[in-house]
Amino acid sequence: MLITKLKKRQELLNMIERKTVFVFKCFGCSEVFFPEEDIDGFIRENSAVIAGVARIDYLCNEEFTKSYLNSFDRGIKESERIVVFSCGVGVQVVAKLLENKRVLPGCDTHYLKGFQGITSQDADCEQCGSCYLNMTGGICPLTACAKGLLNGPCGGANEKGKCEVNPEIDCGWILIYNRLKDMKEEKIMAGTDVKIRDYSLITGEKTEKK
Amino acid sequence: MDEKQVVDYTKYRLKPESEIIKMLKEVSQLQVLLCEKCYKKFEEDFEPECLELREIISRSGTTLLKCTSIPFLCNNYLTGNILERIRNDNCTVGVVSCGIGIQYVAGVIKGGKKVLALADTVSQSGNATSISGYHGIALGEEKCAACGQCWLEITGGICPVINCAKSLLNGPCGGADKNGMCEVNPEKKCAWIEIFERLEKSKRKISGSIKTINHDIFGPYEREKISLLSRERRKEGFYGGVHPEERKEDTAGLAIAVFPAPEKVCLFLSQHAGLPAKPLVRAGDFVKAGQKIAESSGFISAPVHSSVSGKVLSVTEQVHPVTGQLSPAVIIENDGRDERDFSVEPLAGWESLEPLKLLDYIREKGIVGMGGAMFPSAVKLFPPRPVDTLLINGCECEPCLNGDNRLMVEHPVEIIKGAEVAKKLLCAGKILFCIEENKKEAVEALRSSMQISTDMNVVELKTKYPQGAEKMLIKRVLERSVPDGKLPFDVGAVVLNVGTAYAICRAVCEGMPLFERIVTVSGDVVTRRGNFLMKIGTPFSHIAGKCLASGADIGKHDIKMGGPMMGILQKNTDSAVIKGTTGILFLEKSPVEVSESRDCIKCGRCVDVCPMELYPHYYAYYGKKGLWGKCVEYGVNKCIECGCCQYICSSKIDLVGYIKKAKRYADNQA
Repeated sequence: MLITKLKKRQELLNMIERKTVFVFKCFGCSEVFFPEEDIDGFIRENSAVIAGVARIDYLCNEEFTKSYLNSFDRGIKESERIVVFSCGVGVQVVAKLLENKRVLPGCDTHYLKGFQGITSQDADCEQCGSCYLNMTGGICPLTACAKGLLNGPCGGANEKGKCEVNPEIDCGWILIYNRLKDMKEEKIMAGTDVKIRDYSLITGEKTEKK
Repeated sequence: MDEKQVVDYTKYRLKPESEIIKMLKEVSQLQVLLCEKCYKKFEEDFEPECLELREIISRSGTTLLKCTSIPFLCNNYLTGNILERIRNDNCTVGVVSCGIGIQYVAGVIKGGKKVLALADTVSQSGNATSISGYHGIALGEEKCAACGQCWLEITGGICPVINCAKSLLNGPCGGADKNGMCEVNPEKKCAWIEIFERLEKSKRKISGSIKTINHDIFGPYEREKISLLSRERRKEGFYGGVHPEERKEDTAGLAIAVFPAPEKVCLFLSQHAGLPAKPLVRAGDFVKAGQKIAESSGFISAPVHSSVSGKVLSVTEQVHPVTGQLSPAVIIENDGRDERDFSVEPLAGWESLEPLKLLDYIREKGIVGMGGAMFPSAVKLFPPRPVDTLLINGCECEPCLNGDNRLMVEHPVEIIKGAEVAKKLLCAGKILFCIEENKKEAVEALRSSMQISTDMNVVELKTKYPQGAEKMLIKRVLERSVPDGKLPFDVGAVVLNVGTAYAICRAVCEGMPLFERIVTVSGDVVTRRGNFLMKIGTPFSHIAGKCLASGADIGKHDIKMGGPMMGILQKNTDSAVIKGTTGILFLEKSPVEVSESRDCIKCGRCVDVCPMELYPHYYAYYGKKGLWGKCVEYGVNKCIECGCCQYICSSKIDLVGYIKKAKRYADNQA
């Protein structure tokens, strides 16, 4: 999942340099969390320099975006800058389709947990290629760790069970222990099933289909 | 389409057999949950992995109780109910899905029951640790590293970060080779060289300065908040729904005006749910406005009244705006005198009239639901079960339309009176006027015209489409779910459109049958937009003549009856306004036509927005193959045709078209 966040107003205005602007707004995709209100606010504030606004879903679908562009021909021609409010993918598609225009990203794109599936979730997946959830009562130690580590090096959690790095989050292993205790399966933790993570599993060759 | 782009985005694979067998050693009974995955093209009905898993399990000696495949397992709202059932079974649960799905299931089924992860997730996405960027529905090559500081304005729209073998912005790097290839991966061109080339092509230079990436600009708590916010927003009031562009400002401020009467009206005999009315007139007869010209032909039916005075030209067949097929209609020539029939006069002493007589009176006036479904109001107001709440539906969640809005602003007193009549007939305890918050003026108008009490109030609802659908509105306002196959009165509620309340008031107080209604005329190509009091039976060609610029070619535009979401595309301009016409829109044709749709990629967005909690992508999948029976299995009959799925479809598939066909098939089977 992604979050797109409106760039700072001043930064955007500096990029625009008071030139005529055509705006693309992307919406629809569930992978991205769009700051729609902020975008609309910005458009309202600067309506004087905006030649047109295209609200298109799934800008990243190059083929469809291409067909939409025709209907905004005039607005685009009149403008010297194109501002795209979307994730980085949308900006790159528009930039490719309008090679001669200066295409500006209106947003910064951030990573958000819950990357796949259809909604943002509390749970995240590190895609480590060797699922540990069997031994951990269904709580992932990797995504719960501030350093993204399986089992250290770590200075240890504090008395309240909070992470040494980020005292606002719970230590994954303590959550795991508590859940296993509820299930009366604590003995799993005494075993040696959790092995050192094999990072080669996430490189190109091994992610190919079996 | 380009086959290269349809990649199978499998993001997890079964664990090795040895590991699974070891895992199952102490397990006697196993139940397996399979995620049907997202972002991949449909394959065969049975995933090969499932077969493989079945074989492994049979070799391990464990009994496989059940193997359930769930589309989009991580959609906790929809999956929750299935898991609730499994929680009570006495067995171990194995999950084949990505890490998110496994964690989600483990989180729900905690307390004693073990959840086994039977699959490993492999990196495919733009996760911080993964090697390839992949987001959204982008099937192309553009990728985004979600670095949080977009440089694309400086780099001509090519991302240096995602295209770097080391995911670096600007080094440390040993430099590209002579051919401009990356020092690490000699098969990849250096992104900075590509950037330079693209800029040079359009005679631009790299401007501005690029700083080092700041890896710490967006805290995890802010992310957490947004993550939850997006989920909450989806469940707000009722599941799913969309926020289409409202475009109401075009006509919101325009007062209701009387639309010039046409020379001829075309009155369909089927303007209501149920059996068509039986004509009472013949060609050559003279009728007056408000005269009954067709009699209802059953309990669920309604009479039709003439909307003009003049001569009946013919009783013929005309293309019906809803079904698109020929349907019986009475054509009347308007003599322009607008003489009223004797029956159009106030009903004296209605306040003291017996409820059943009042109900008959309303039936006789041809009143039907005016939100679009056209269900005879007399039937609705005579529920077989007691009703505690009457909801007056002023949501008007469809974009572009403003008829209900203007009615509430200009005639609040009449609407309240009509609602009170309905309340009396229903013996309901209270009336709630439900209005979306984007209609502040209407809320004010109604509030100031009523005595707010526990029996009557205005509820302001957060805007969301399709809130105006009965089931959604009841869920939102009363927090009651209408079960499948049941009607609102089964949960003690009745929903009436504000237009219907107004029509009831006019019928009772003025004796007006339903022969005119408020219609919004709007759209990109309309020069004379507005909310008009229009005669029922006004042909679309007459509206086009009055509202479009002279010389405009209707053939070049889409004519929709209703709103842009649920509106029905009209092919024949001789078709005419019926009792359920909320608006007439003249729209530019969509740049991406239905014929250009792509295959479903299972992005799941339709599942995400379906307010009836269905899986609309299956209708396209099975519909394309002609397996309509399968569509029925996936509950196509529950669909309310709100159009959310089609609106949001990333492949521009005509889902509502498939749904309508599947429903027709289901009707024929029944």
